[in-house]
Amino acid sequence: MIRALRLSTRTSGLMLILALVATACGGAAATPTQAPPTAVPPTEVPAAEMTGSLTVLDWAGYDAFDFWVDFQNTYPKVTVNFEIGASDADIYSKMKAGDQADIFHPYTGWLQFYVDEGLVEEIDTSRLTNWDKVPDSFKKIGQINGKQYFLPWDWGFTSILYRTDKIPEGVDSWAALMNPKFKGHVSTWDDGPGAVTVSAYIHGWDETKITPEQLATIKEEWIQQRDVNLFYWAGEPELVDAMANGDVWVAYAWQGAYATLLGQGVPVAYANPKEGRNSWVGVYGIRKGSQNYDLALKFFDAKLAAATGNNVVNLFYYGHSNQDVMNGITDATLKQAFSIDDPTILQKTNFTPNLTAEQLDAWTAMWAEVKAAP
Amino acid sequence: MLDRRATFWVLYLPPLLWLGAFFVVPLILMAAFSFRADMRGEVLQWWTPTLKQYAGLFAAGSYWRLLGISAFMALIVALISTALAYPIAYFLAFRAGRRAGFYLVLLLVPFWTSYLLRVMAWKFMLGSNGVINSFLMYTGLIHEPLTALLYNRNAVVLTLIYVWIPFVALPIFAALQRIDLALFEAAADLGATPFRRFWRVTFPLSLPGVFAAFFMVFIPTVGEYVTPLLVGGSRGSMYGNIVQDFFTKAANWPLGSALSMIMLIATLALVALAVRIVDLRRLIE
Repeated sequence: MIRALRLSTRTSGLMLILALVATACGGAAATPTQAPPTAVPPTEVPAAEMTGSLTVLDWAGYDAFDFWVDFQNTYPKVTVNFEIGASDADIYSKMKAGDQADIFHPYTGWLQFYVDEGLVEEIDTSRLTNWDKVPDSFKKIGQINGKQYFLPWDWGFTSILYRTDKIPEGVDSWAALMNPKFKGHVSTWDDGPGAVTVSAYIHGWDETKITPEQLATIKEEWIQQRDVNLFYWAGEPELVDAMANGDVWVAYAWQGAYATLLGQGVPVAYANPKEGRNSWVGVYGIRKGSQNYDLALKFFDAKLAAATGNNVVNLFYYGHSNQDVMNGITDATLKQAFSIDDPTILQKTNFTPNLTAEQLDAWTAMWAEVKAAP
Repeated sequence: MLDRRATFWVLYLPPLLWLGAFFVVPLILMAAFSFRADMRGEVLQWWTPTLKQYAGLFAAGSYWRLLGISAFMALIVALISTALAYPIAYFLAFRAGRRAGFYLVLLLVPFWTSYLLRVMAWKFMLGSNGVINSFLMYTGLIHEPLTALLYNRNAVVLTLIYVWIPFVALPIFAALQRIDLALFEAAADLGATPFRRFWRVTFPLSLPGVFAAFFMVFIPTVGEYVTPLLVGGSRGSMYGNIVQDFFTKAANWPLGSALSMIMLIATLALVALAVRIVDLRRLIE
């Protein structure tokens, strides 16, 4: 009996160690949450009486009522559930793993994958009453292989954000992120494709045709860049904090951070680098096989409506695809943030191209090696 | 007899099923994914096993180096937090008396706030406008804030030690509490000094708790990724950060799985080696 007991102590000790070892390696694989598909109600019911439910896979913050206020007001009896994705890769992984969300929110760069993997349904734009308010240039961004798979919705710039009190001479190039003059006061986004884009701008390379040799140069460049970089930011609040308290003077930043800091009275400026700014567009897609296709279209139409669009502009300081909303901006800070009064900025802007699977694998591996380098 | 069998299954089946479904099956899936070429196609389809991911990892030396650094950091964190927690456990077991329960609760108070918040608090401690820098500037000892406090590997080690100390004190406390007090009297009767008594009686008897504590810190710390993300800066990444990136930033599960498998095997090997060196079996008996 005692022997048996000892043996079991030893075995359970081994089990514990095994479990602990595996804990060390675990935590990364996320289990997708399953939302049961709901039946589609007959469509002829008046909007205010319509019932049903929609599940939206979105980014944290976008689940706020402000960003779908028009839908809620028109269809008060429809339940909208939100799932939260942490990044484009996260949202793509979830959808690929069979997430049952009806609607999802990727950004430019990632759109081709959803079409190639058969995860997205074409949008019947004839059923969107607000579709004619979207400029053609935006519509085109949501088209893959000649079909409208995505609804363009929010957009913004990426550029260099800097503290004007620390750098009175200003910043005129993306190379500022690597300038030894700003050692310990630089922060860049924790993202491989983002880093490749910056290097491509600096060298004047076509970012859609980066060769393995160029990628090797880019890797070396960013390994060196760690000498001047304080930390890689993962979310905007982290960057805003560090710029407000003076730790970071120069950063790769979205314009939301710029507008937030302006609002806080921090002396910052958003550079117009000679290589041009970058711009990204957020889009919505409907999952292929969603049983709520009709409801999803209604949601899309409401997403394009004015009150929702104004909230995106006023609360997040991002642009909206409804041109009427953008034309209605009067606030000076916002006008500055969108560079509305200086059309030359938009002409010089580089829009984020869609990545191929090979580029995504190579560029993210490059970035991992930068972080792992001695 | 049947009753005993029934009791056995009633007691063991639920945890076995739980572990099987949420631990063993994901582990097998991860192992399977590490032999997949890429993420194209259905997630659960048959694929031809390939060593492509492992070949790529063997070619890139930086990942191995980082695994070594992470294991070394885990070793330092485990050693220091165990050493610092020992006196706390000793105090609780032998000196706190009737107040031991109260002090134990005090020790556990930090767990009432989330891990993330406690790590974030260290940013306020170590940052350039943080508590330490503000104090030093106020006293006039420095004129420019020290930047070396935050955003490097030392900050990661410091924060991890802090986070682990209360955890680590518990198994040591449990081991110390089990010691029969009559042994101390016997030692004293035989003329042992307090130091000798501790060194020859208390400490050896507490070793199972000490080793349990050490491994409890070492093993999860090898794969740590939250703390380096928050206080590690550009050069503070650990192996766990790279694994996390391949899952959440690169949508490259096969490569992330291969990295995880390598860490699993390396950690198992290290623990097996350590167990052999300290002869854990003898200690438990």
